[in-house]
Amino acid sequence: MDILADLATPIVMGILLGGLYAVIALGLSLVFGVVKEINIAHGDLVILGSYLGYVAMSVIGIDPIISLVIGMPLLFGIGFVLQKYILNRAFKISMDATLIIAFGISIILQSAYQLIWSPMSRGLTTSYALESFTMGPVRFPLTYLLDFIIAIFVMIFLREFLRRTYLGKAIRAAAQDRKTAHLMGINTDQVYAYTFGISMVFAAIAGIFLGLTFAFTPVSGMSFLIIALGVVVLGGMGSILGTFIGGIAFGLAQTLGGHFFGLAAQMLVAYTMVLAVLAVIPRGIFGR
Amino acid sequence: MKATIPRLRGGLTPLIAVLVVLALFPLIGVPRIWLLYLFIFFIYLAMANMWNLLAGYSGLISLCPAAFIGLAGYTMTIMTWLGLPYYAGIISGAIAAALFAGLISIPVFRLKGIYFAIGTLVVPEILRLVFLLWQPVGDVRYGGGAGYSVKGVTVVSPSAEYWMALAIAIVSIFLMRYILRSKLGTGLAAIRDNNSTAASSGINVFNLKLLSFVISAFVTGLAGAIYYVYTGYIEPMSAFGIKWLIYIMLATVIGGEGTEEGPIVGTIIVVFLYFTLARYAEVSLLIQGVILVGIMLLAPQGIMGTLRKTRGYRSLLQLATRR
Repeated sequence: MDILADLATPIVMGILLGGLYAVIALGLSLVFGVVKEINIAHGDLVILGSYLGYVAMSVIGIDPIISLVIGMPLLFGIGFVLQKYILNRAFKISMDATLIIAFGISIILQSAYQLIWSPMSRGLTTSYALESFTMGPVRFPLTYLLDFIIAIFVMIFLREFLRRTYLGKAIRAAAQDRKTAHLMGINTDQVYAYTFGISMVFAAIAGIFLGLTFAFTPVSGMSFLIIALGVVVLGGMGSILGTFIGGIAFGLAQTLGGHFFGLAAQMLVAYTMVLAVLAVIPRGIFGR
Repeated sequence: MKATIPRLRGGLTPLIAVLVVLALFPLIGVPRIWLLYLFIFFIYLAMANMWNLLAGYSGLISLCPAAFIGLAGYTMTIMTWLGLPYYAGIISGAIAAALFAGLISIPVFRLKGIYFAIGTLVVPEILRLVFLLWQPVGDVRYGGGAGYSVKGVTVVSPSAEYWMALAIAIVSIFLMRYILRSKLGTGLAAIRDNNSTAASSGINVFNLKLLSFVISAFVTGLAGAIYYVYTGYIEPMSAFGIKWLIYIMLATVIGGEGTEEGPIVGTIIVVFLYFTLARYAEVSLLIQGVILVGIMLLAPQGIMGTLRKTRGYRSLLQLATRR
């Protein structure tokens, strides 16, 4: 029973943290599933969401979660423009070109953040960010619970959106067969731009909750990109449920790794698991 | 289309003449700062050439050159701590990088195209964490985040470092020439043009890609270890950092992916930017990012790739290669 009580904390923490990772990875997974491109700049765009929340909190003085009312449309616009005017063109050159251009955008964003917000570490320290709650014998930070709730909410929203709306159906059609969708009168370039925009809406949400949970710096984007890629690789590209399961698997690997091998080794355990999964099932748990 | 390999008139004489002059630079009293510029140029050139071998000729977008550089640098440093001379360290560093390439090929070579890129992106991050935790030599004051100083390299003269870098640059250039004209090179070209046709013509796709991956790791490791002999100090954040990838990718893409002379032209530009923008450190990366995106959108084949298509260059080449 002692072992179980000991493990309760890392397991619950891992599952809750997995929710945050799933939200961070969701946009990446969506863009991969539909546009078939790996957005290397995804982590940095998530961090942009965090910085917008930071500005809203420190300059305007509103709660970061409420600031999403402005943050989501803003990031949607950025994503739409990015895909429509840059990545759609890159896509026609080659797959590699898209990857390299996204990498360039990531470099540009990172150095822009350093110029605007300095290399200092920031965090969204609201009044409730430091609260905790008790469940059985252990206490958890409230933000972890928020992360998990928002993850479930966002996943269900995306699923229903793709199933019920016209745009959602168009996105699914373009994802399944680009050429046929085009023949059926779907403007695939436009659909891709909308998809990227929607993925950025999720990035905005992920950015806020990331900022509430962790501190971030201008270069944090790369670490969170690698986490998101790990999540997507574990769960399989382009599957919503897979992303959710992948997020929880990654969160559990991290917290259990930290429990057994010490806090410093927690990410090492998670990354090694990602490579191990790649070696055994290259397309992930839920991959198609 | 007739595929001929252009040969410069007079064979290798002009090239060798240039190399001899470059080799004499430290002896004829060329300013120190120029030797430093050239040193950095040679190191990046060797790395860019090897990245070009993967991205331009083997269809492998590898995002992990930093893993080979950092691992070779660390192996070299640890060897000097164990009492071996630095040159033995450099060789063992390159061997460690090549062995490591073989090891990680087990998971990442199961991945196709863009999945391969993702798989390789995780690798330097893992190594960075390993070297942040692991202290192979020395007591608690050394290793981990504090890094190691390379022992016994204060006696290495700047000229010796310069010659080592020149040697690795020359090796990388001639290795590329040799590979592209060998069975490996033609096999890689066939794979790049059509994977399944190449496979059905009896080319062992997996083996050829693995071979070029390991060769690339070995030479990149050599260059990385030489670089750390020059700096005399290594720590995990920069050794496995993303900057290596930025410079290497930028050099190859600006010059022209999949062209032999592309990395040379690209590296000249990157090193020029590196030193001119050093004063404006905060905007330096921003400008390089903009250049990377701009080149990729406007001239995806890079400078040499675009130049090759123009009539002027072709007639110049004809003039130079006519016997």
